[in-house]
Amino acid sequence: MISANNIYKDFGKLHVLTGVSCEIRDGEKVAIIGPSGSGKSTFLRCLNLLEEPTSGEIWLGDKLITGVDAYLHPDIIRQSRTYAAMTENGVSDKEAVEKIISDRLLKKREGKNFKSSVKEFEKANRTDINLARREMGMVFQHFNLFNNMTVMQNLTLAPVQLGLKTKAEAEQAALALLRRIGLEDKANVYPATLSGGQKQRIAIVRSLAMNPKVMLFDEPTSALDPEMVGEVLDLIKELADDGMTMVIVTHEMGFAREVADRVIFMSDGVITEEGTPAELFDSPKNPRTQQFLKCVL
Amino acid sequence: MAQFLLMSKENYKKFQARPSCRTGNEGWDGFEREGHNMDFFKNIGVLITNEKYMGMLLEGLGKTLLISVFAAVLGLLLGTLVAMVGLSEGKFSKIPKAICKVYVTVIRGTPMALQLFIMAYAIFAIRGFPKEITAILAFGINSGAYVSESIRGGILSVDIGQTEAGRALGLGRGTTMRKIVIPQAIKNVIPAIGNELIALIKETSIVSMIGMYDLTQAAKVIGAGNNMASYIVPMSVAACFYLAIVYLLTFVIKKIETRLRASDKR
Repeated sequence: MISANNIYKDFGKLHVLTGVSCEIRDGEKVAIIGPSGSGKSTFLRCLNLLEEPTSGEIWLGDKLITGVDAYLHPDIIRQSRTYAAMTENGVSDKEAVEKIISDRLLKKREGKNFKSSVKEFEKANRTDINLARREMGMVFQHFNLFNNMTVMQNLTLAPVQLGLKTKAEAEQAALALLRRIGLEDKANVYPATLSGGQKQRIAIVRSLAMNPKVMLFDEPTSALDPEMVGEVLDLIKELADDGMTMVIVTHEMGFAREVADRVIFMSDGVITEEGTPAELFDSPKNPRTQQFLKCVL
Repeated sequence: MAQFLLMSKENYKKFQARPSCRTGNEGWDGFEREGHNMDFFKNIGVLITNEKYMGMLLEGLGKTLLISVFAAVLGLLLGTLVAMVGLSEGKFSKIPKAICKVYVTVIRGTPMALQLFIMAYAIFAIRGFPKEITAILAFGINSGAYVSESIRGGILSVDIGQTEAGRALGLGRGTTMRKIVIPQAIKNVIPAIGNELIALIKETSIVSMIGMYDLTQAAKVIGAGNNMASYIVPMSVAACFYLAIVYLLTFVIKKIETRLRASDKR
């Protein structure tokens, strides 16, 4: 479903992610845990490009959603003088291409020669990130319901604006979703009047209104009052039981253990350890994981 | 009446000594000139009922409003444009962005009067060029710089999470701006824009410096020696005019703001 290859993300001099690779299969529920500042939220946000990775690839199904670096693409490389010179000296095609990619020779040596063909190439290979994002629902820590719209408008805005549904269809679907979470009586109020738990449940169904293939949760219960955590977790659990693919960054260890098929522990911008909940929570191998779990469990 | 507080000692003695209000010292227009009997409120009545003086004031008022309205429209358009360019991202916006930055810095960093002089005596120093256009351009360009900063601030004050939520749903940058960010930004921007419009209306009074006949200049001419020979009365009336316009504008802005904020309560 989603695969991330060697993701690096820098914020200025700060290296937040240093080579994260991870594959999320269809129907899988992955929980990401780790100390704060370990890069787990950044990684999640990289998956739908709310943060653009500094380098690395993200695939959604068979679509590459991070930009393609043309200077590292074999088709462009084969047109270069460097490549010609290498093959003339008896280096095989494969070796020459690999060498140029690994040393990033093309941009260094012949950046100027390829400007126009690189531009053309990038244009042809660009995936529309907005299209990709339709298939990935995202739920935020602070809900981020649109404050200028009623609950109903929150739910129907994207499907109607993107031309996926007519207004009537979208409203019908929204009502069904609201009924599912027991909030159909809130359809015409503004978010300011709702409790945190209600806001977050509405934020979740707002994503569901786009019929996403995968849901990304970024600490969905961290900003909630304790008595409201349960209602949100129940809804997420319900989604999980329906077979939705999901990635959840969370501090709720009990929840991660119950719902996740796989738990990833991140620290200092890398995946330190991953495994089934039983493996990771009961017998962590890495000392960093052990230390973290000792603190939180 | 407390007008004796404004009088010199001698005048006050005269004031006490006179037999009645009417002294026979009124000039040809019925206006009582200084040194004789100063009756402030009565003289205001005289000014308001005098067709010639009132005509002069209304002519000035018209010019003030003309400049203010067109400059405000120009300022709002220019300000919005500059704010949008300032907030845009992408490699093609670098040069326009730099131009906008210089524009805001220069306009905000130099006196309005100087900008008006440069417009009138350098850029549009053409015989017969309508001064109204010069003034509208000068004030509109000046206002645009301030408005752009207000709008930029208003847009930036909307939580970034709102944009992220919109983009995460697959909405494009433009749609997110139009449907989510701008409606929320407008509420935050209205008070600052209102402030700017009020400042603009009052600031237009300096057009007299390039020889234009606005409300302030009209009051000055009426107060001069060959007319009333007293500044306090026409100036006060002109001040009331300004006050009335600003009061009306404040009222309208408040109304708009209340309506926009309706979604915050409910």
